[in-house]
Amino acid sequence: MTEFLAFLPFLVIVVCYELLPLCQLAVSSFTEKTSGKPGFENYIKIFTTPLYQQSIVNSVRISLISAAVGLVVAFFAADLCHEAKEGTRRRFTMLLNMMSNFSGVPLAFAFMVLMGNTGVLTLLGKKAGIPFLANFNLYSGNGLVLVYIYFQIPLATLLLLPSFSGLRPEWREAAVILKADPLDYWLRIAIPNLLPGILGTLSVLFANALAAFATAYAIVMNNYALLALQITSKYKGDVEIDKATGGALAMVLIGLMVLATAVNDCFTKKSTQGRRLV
Amino acid sequence: MNRRSRLFAGIFLILVSCYLLLPFLMTLVYSLFSEWTDILPHGFTLRNYGNLFSDPEFWSSIARTLVLCAVSVLLTITVLLLAMYVIIAVNRNLRGFMQIVCMIPYALQGVILSISIISIYSGTGTFLSNRLLMLFGAYTILVLPYIYQGICNSLNAISSETLLEAAQVLGCGKFRAYLQVIIPNILSGVFISALLAESIVFGDFVLANNIAGNNYQNIQVFLNRRMFKSSGLASAIVVVIFAVVLLITGMVLKLQKPQTGRENG
Repeated sequence: MTEFLAFLPFLVIVVCYELLPLCQLAVSSFTEKTSGKPGFENYIKIFTTPLYQQSIVNSVRISLISAAVGLVVAFFAADLCHEAKEGTRRRFTMLLNMMSNFSGVPLAFAFMVLMGNTGVLTLLGKKAGIPFLANFNLYSGNGLVLVYIYFQIPLATLLLLPSFSGLRPEWREAAVILKADPLDYWLRIAIPNLLPGILGTLSVLFANALAAFATAYAIVMNNYALLALQITSKYKGDVEIDKATGGALAMVLIGLMVLATAVNDCFTKKSTQGRRLV
Repeated sequence: MNRRSRLFAGIFLILVSCYLLLPFLMTLVYSLFSEWTDILPHGFTLRNYGNLFSDPEFWSSIARTLVLCAVSVLLTITVLLLAMYVIIAVNRNLRGFMQIVCMIPYALQGVILSISIISIYSGTGTFLSNRLLMLFGAYTILVLPYIYQGICNSLNAISSETLLEAAQVLGCGKFRAYLQVIIPNILSGVFISALLAESIVFGDFVLANNIAGNNYQNIQVFLNRRMFKSSGLASAIVVVIFAVVLLITGMVLKLQKPQTGRENG
C-alpha cells in the first residue's frame, strides 16, 4: 500500500492544476452571475450578445480558412517532398521542423516588419504599385488569416508526411499497368488512402488555430472579436474577474475543439471500415 | 519522376522554403540595419544587439525564463517518474487514467489552461493565489504530455517489466531496481523529451502573460512589451529567442537521429 505514495505527488499536481480548475470552469459557466444559482444565463448571454457571437464566428472562420489553405499547400509540399530524393527530403523536413518553432509573438513581430503599416513589403507595394501589398491591413481579420496560414503550413506538412510514406509505390505501378490515368490513381487510390491522415491533420490544424493566442494578441491586442482573446480578457486584472461569461466562452471553445476531434474520429472510422470491406 | 516534373517539384519546394524563411530572415536583416524606409536597408549596425545586451531587464527576463524552464521540467520529470513506478511495478490499471490525464493538456493548450487556473485560485486569499505558484503549476501541466510520451516510449523500448523481474530474481527490491536499473536506462530518452519541453516553455507567451503578466515577466512578455516601443530592439529579441529555440531543437534532432536509425536497421 505504501507504494501508492509514489503516485501521490503526480495526483496532487494534476488534481490541483488540471482537473479541479477544469471542473471549476464548467461549474462557473453554469452559475448565474447575479443570483449564483445554476442556470443557462451565461450561455444565453454569449449567444445573444453581438460581440461574443462575432467572436465565435470569426474564430471558426479564421481557423477553417487557415486550416484549409494550410492543408492544400501542405498536401502538395508533402507529396513532392515524399517523392523527392533522400537529401532533399531530409533538408526540407529539417526546415519544416525549424520553422514550425517560429510562432507566437516573434512570428507576429516578423509579420509586422513585413506587412505592418510601414512594413518592408508594404513599402515595396507602394513603390511598385501593387495595391494588395500597399493596402494590406495586417491588424485585421484578413491579417490574422495570413499569419495563421503561415504557422499552419509547416505543421500540416509534418503531420501529412507519414501518411504519404504509407502510399506504396507498387500501387501506382499496378494502376499504370491497368491503364489508369494519373487522375484515376489520385482520386481512386491515393486520396482515399490518405483521407484519414488528411482529416486528422485538418482537425489538428483547426483546433490549433482556434486555441492560438500569442500571435493574435500581439497583432490585434483586444481590438478584434476573437474567442481566445475574449476569453482571456475576462480574466485580466486582479480585481474584476468575470468567471461566469469567461467560463461559458471557454466551454464554447472546448466544445468546438471536441467537435473537431469527434468529426475527425467519425470520418476516420468510416474510412477504415470502407477499406476493410474492400 | 521525369525531368520536367522533378524540376517543378524542386521549384515548388524551394518556393515553400523561401516563404517559410522569409519572415525570420527579414527580421534578421531588419535587426542589423539602422534604417529600412526604402526598398533596401542601409546603415549596417550592431547597435540593436548592443542595446539589448546592455539592458538589465533583458537579462532578468532571460533569468526568469530559465528558472521557469528548469523548475517546471525537473518537477514534471520527478513526479512522472515516481508515478510511473506505481504503474509498472504495482498497479497497471492506473495507466489508462494517467494516459488521459497526461494528454488533456495537449488538447487544451495555453488559453484554457491559464484561465482555468486563474479562475479557481485568484482572489482566494490563500497561498494558492500566489501568481508564481500558479505559474509553476501551469507550466508543470503544460509540459506533461511531452515528458509523459518520452518516458512511455523509453520504457517500452527497454522492456521494463523483464528488467524489473530480472532484478527482483537477483534479490533486488522493486523500488531499488526501478531507481538503479530502469531509470538509468531511460535517462537519455527522457532527456530528449525534456529538451522538447524546454523549447515549449521557452516559447510560451500565453501562460506567462495571463497568469503572471508584469509580476514575473518572461522573455516573450518582455518582447511583447518592447515591440511597440522600439522595433529595432524587438527585432534583436526575436532573433535571440529564435536562435535559442533553434539550438534546442537542433539538439533534439541530433540526439534523436541515432535512435531512429536503430529502429530502421
